[in-house]
Amino acid sequence: MNPLWSNIFSKKKQEESLAFFLGTVPVFAELSPKELHQLERLMHARDYAPFETVFEQGDPGSGMYVIRSGKVQVFSRNINKEEEELAVLGPGDFFGETTLTAPAARTAFVRTLEQSVLIGLFRADLLEMVQKQADIANKILMMLTRIMSERLLASNTEIIRLKTALENVNHHDE
Amino acid sequence: MSSLPNSSSRKGFTRAQLIIFYLVMTLSLATGLALYTSATNIINLLRTATAGLFLPVLLSLILTFLLDPPVRYFERKGFNRTLGIFFVYILIAIIATLLAFWLIPYLDGMWSSLKTDLPRYTGKITGLVNELQNYLINKAPYVTEYDLPGKAKALAQRIAADILVETPKSALLIGSLMILVPLFSFFFLRDGHATIRKCVALTPNRHFEMAHDLSFLISRQLSEFIRGRIIEAFIVGLVVAIGLSMTDIRYAPLLGAFAGITNLIPYVGPIIGMVPGILIAFADLGIGGEFWWIVCVYILIAQIIVDSFILIPIFISRVSNLHPFIVIVAIIMGGKLSGVIGMIIGVPVASIIKIAVQSIMQYRHNFSLTRGEYEQE
Repeated sequence: MNPLWSNIFSKKKQEESLAFFLGTVPVFAELSPKELHQLERLMHARDYAPFETVFEQGDPGSGMYVIRSGKVQVFSRNINKEEEELAVLGPGDFFGETTLTAPAARTAFVRTLEQSVLIGLFRADLLEMVQKQADIANKILMMLTRIMSERLLASNTEIIRLKTALENVNHHDE
Repeated sequence: MSSLPNSSSRKGFTRAQLIIFYLVMTLSLATGLALYTSATNIINLLRTATAGLFLPVLLSLILTFLLDPPVRYFERKGFNRTLGIFFVYILIAIIATLLAFWLIPYLDGMWSSLKTDLPRYTGKITGLVNELQNYLINKAPYVTEYDLPGKAKALAQRIAADILVETPKSALLIGSLMILVPLFSFFFLRDGHATIRKCVALTPNRHFEMAHDLSFLISRQLSEFIRGRIIEAFIVGLVVAIGLSMTDIRYAPLLGAFAGITNLIPYVGPIIGMVPGILIAFADLGIGGEFWWIVCVYILIAQIIVDSFILIPIFISRVSNLHPFIVIVAIIMGGKLSGVIGMIIGVPVASIIKIAVQSIMQYRHNFSLTRGEYEQE
């Protein structure tokens, strides 16, 4: 068949759809294909220019972003207002999930490094989902809690490690 | 003559430049005028085009807010939204037909008796005013110069004539509303959410998150407020209607409906709502036990006990009340814009604006506090 015609009549490939992409993100890994399609309708795809600010530290935070394409840089500013890079995230990574369930200010700066597409899921949509499609919301919240507790565990071990290291240094000085 | 080019060249302008300058000035003035007149023309066109739409759109919005919870209920049960709306519509259609079968003969009888009763009531009122004037003349003789009974009679007759003539006329309006309002509400219910999402999506990336959050907060508060107001008005009307039916007064359901609708206006509404009831009670029953019971129903039971102690704390507590001054201004402005309907909806519209402004300010306040903390670090 002429490739022009086949292009018009063929459906978008499964792998290219937003729903399929969302299924590869850990937070939404538990959802079935049908649920992913319902979720797709609640999310906001936003196009960002290179070096565009996504949010700044102290901004009111109301949700999380998943990177569909492009790269973003997470950074903070020290006392002298100099930038300190915390991480560079790429496609499939997500950030800002701590403000999804409870309103809080953003704790870091985020800006894009190249042309990017970010998919936003915000608290308002999640609350709507809790009412209308409770099973989807449950799965998302369970995964979110799991990710958060894993991080909490990691940071706890890190604190203990640093504490003992500090004590060792103090002992050494004495 | 010869000095002119010299002087103009000293200023730095040649004659050609001056001509161009004048031409540009005239042209811009003309453009400005043309823009201004065409803008007013366009606004006038828009106004005439949308004149008949105001009431149906407003009623549809109110209906949308009222029907959203039952539609949501069906959606939660696993139906898609369009199907849910159809279910709710079918349910309402069944209830409405049953109500119509029960109400129409009753309303018909009420209408024909009202036709004979209204002149009687106006006669009674003029008689009352006459008595009042006689009483006043005894106390203060200079009042005779003012024709109080004549004025009262003219006013009362005009109001009675208005009611008798305008009600059948408005049947046409009601007929068109019965088609337009369900249709509009259907679209608002089905696509309203997506439309708001699309509008919010137009905001630039940097402000999108806040706009999205605010639109959610405001629409939630608004739907709570509008639903609360309507339910409150309905219950007050019901209480008045039941309270009045316990006496021999006529038109108790009509008076209850009137009290319910006027209850939408704070401060002034309840007083207007009780005027016809008390006048009819006075004309038909005279001052006695039943008359005082009716006054009691209006003021003590409906307003103080049911509305202030039970309904307002349950439904409206989250929204702080408007200042009385704002209420009066809103009623006057609403009345100027679209008559009696404007007077009824002026105050709710003012409350809606207040809710929007308040939630924006609250949002900014909450986050300016946390922002301050970060900046101190």
